[in-house]
Amino acid sequence: MSLFYVVAFLSIIFALLVIFTKNPVHSVLYLIATFFTFTIHYIILNAQFLAVVNFIVYMGAIMVLFLFVLMLMNLNTDTEPMKSTLLKVVGAIAGGCLLVTLIGSMKTLSTASTTAMDNTGIGLVENLGKVLFSDFLLPFELSSILLLAAMVGAVLLAKKENKTA
Amino acid sequence: MSTLIVISILAIVVLYLGLFKAKEALLPVSVLGLVGALALAIMEWNSNAAPIFSGMMHFDNFAVAFSSICIITTILVFLLSKNYFEKISNNVAEYYTLILFALTGIIVMVSYHNLSMLFVGLEIMSVSLYILAGIKRKDFASNEAALKYFLMGAFSTGFLLFGIALIYGASKSFDLAVIAQYVIDRPTGIDPIFYVGLVLMIVGLCFKVGAAPFHFWTPDVYEGAPTLITAFMSTVVKIAGFAAFLRLFSICFAPLQDFWMPTLLIITILTLFVGNITALYQTNFKRMLAFSSISHAGYMLFAIVALGAASTNAIFIYAAAYAVSSITAFAVLMLVKVKTGGENFEDFNGLAKSNPFLAFALTIAMLSFAGIPLTAGFIGKFFVFNAALTQYHTWLVAIAVINAIIGVFYYFKVIVAMYFKENQTKQIATPVYFNFVLGLSLIITLVLGIYPSFITNLF
Repeated sequence: MSLFYVVAFLSIIFALLVIFTKNPVHSVLYLIATFFTFTIHYIILNAQFLAVVNFIVYMGAIMVLFLFVLMLMNLNTDTEPMKSTLLKVVGAIAGGCLLVTLIGSMKTLSTASTTAMDNTGIGLVENLGKVLFSDFLLPFELSSILLLAAMVGAVLLAKKENKTA
Repeated sequence: MSTLIVISILAIVVLYLGLFKAKEALLPVSVLGLVGALALAIMEWNSNAAPIFSGMMHFDNFAVAFSSICIITTILVFLLSKNYFEKISNNVAEYYTLILFALTGIIVMVSYHNLSMLFVGLEIMSVSLYILAGIKRKDFASNEAALKYFLMGAFSTGFLLFGIALIYGASKSFDLAVIAQYVIDRPTGIDPIFYVGLVLMIVGLCFKVGAAPFHFWTPDVYEGAPTLITAFMSTVVKIAGFAAFLRLFSICFAPLQDFWMPTLLIITILTLFVGNITALYQTNFKRMLAFSSISHAGYMLFAIVALGAASTNAIFIYAAAYAVSSITAFAVLMLVKVKTGGENFEDFNGLAKSNPFLAFALTIAMLSFAGIPLTAGFIGKFFVFNAALTQYHTWLVAIAVINAIIGVFYYFKVIVAMYFKENQTKQIATPVYFNFVLGLSLIITLVLGIYPSFITNLF
């Protein structure tokens, strides 16, 4: 349990650092650290598949993409325009409303009784595969259409056109 | 299920036709395939189908009715597409394919019995549409439309997904029947996160159907996208969004009406006023249609606010009336734009002199939009208001009637332009396909308006 608290504390710290650092590249690096703590959370929960996917896809692919975009956009110089006063007031009011709502809903919260999982190995790759190819077969197959549509679209939008339209 | 398979395979066949440069075959094959899919869908009517694939999909009468109307509208859109995509680029087959993929997603959206299917269907539809909105690659407005639609759509999907996750957390299932049972078993003491999930799902779905205050993407996207794609988005996609909305609420959340009704009520009233009042100030016909589609979303939300036995029928009739009128309006707009190059009301000046048939068809469509008796739009509004009145939402109906009167003003603008303003325009040559679509829409509008019991007793 103490490991959980340490990791949870770290994820909150890193998440706050993502918002508060001025330099966007640092911000992205802290985001990677946040995702890494999530990976540890998944391992603690015995969700091995999620942990691996989170590690490879989020920390690897998506974050590299993020960094590339940032470098291409060249945000290093302090170019963020100052917000107008009106916008700040509106933001403060909206944020305050959200805070009040959150506090209001927190008051009704109660600790749920801990439920024991029927199957502790539910997050393993083997079990996930079994569910995916039995109960969730149709959505799984339909995802292929989703990917095909995205692929056709990517080629369509990126391919060089011979005729000038 | 067979409908879904036919449309998916049809999309891939069309893609191959493009590979083998069989351009002439694209349109006939697409339309014939869709007619086949339509026939297969109608054959499932009253077959008392049970949920299939471990409760993933349920092709009941609801699904058959809404699939059919979506397929028919898509066929009409395809008929209008003759020689349209060729002007944009060489890759015509891909556009047909993407529209068919979007239709695949729509079939899933109207027949889902599991929230994971809803999500996959919605994504298939949305991804295809993001691309279709941006197919005019050299056109700045089209690029803006695609980017804006993509960002807003991805954002709204996030809301929807979070809602689904929270509902799963409370009810421990994605299956609609299990969620419904969870709600019924607990008259009191439903987990609070269930309510949060419900609200998030309302937000996500309202984004997709373009209801206020989540409508900001609608005008820019509808205006920027190619007109034919706008016609597809504002008819088929909108109907599918409402079908998914209604299916979820009527199956799962009906017992919780006291909780979500006030939220949806406010959204409905906002949508009506925002759509109608902003539409009054438009000078661009296409943008006016975008705002009018927001206001029509408001009328259709009515039937969900007053959820009951009559809701499905009311939305079905309204959707049918709205779809045929929209197709007419967009078809005439496309012809006028080819001729004059503009989309403003002035471009319609004198159309009644040069093209009496076009002007007449557009007039009937506008009257149907406005809800004048003897058109399908009147019957649609009548049933929607009737559904609301049976639940004693009297003042809500009063607000809607005020909005319908506001609507008359801007719909008549174009009629006035066509009949009472002079302009030296030559006759617009109308292709055979356009005449066929316009004639068919005209007949459907009038027949439903005069003799509505064709489809009023379906459910």
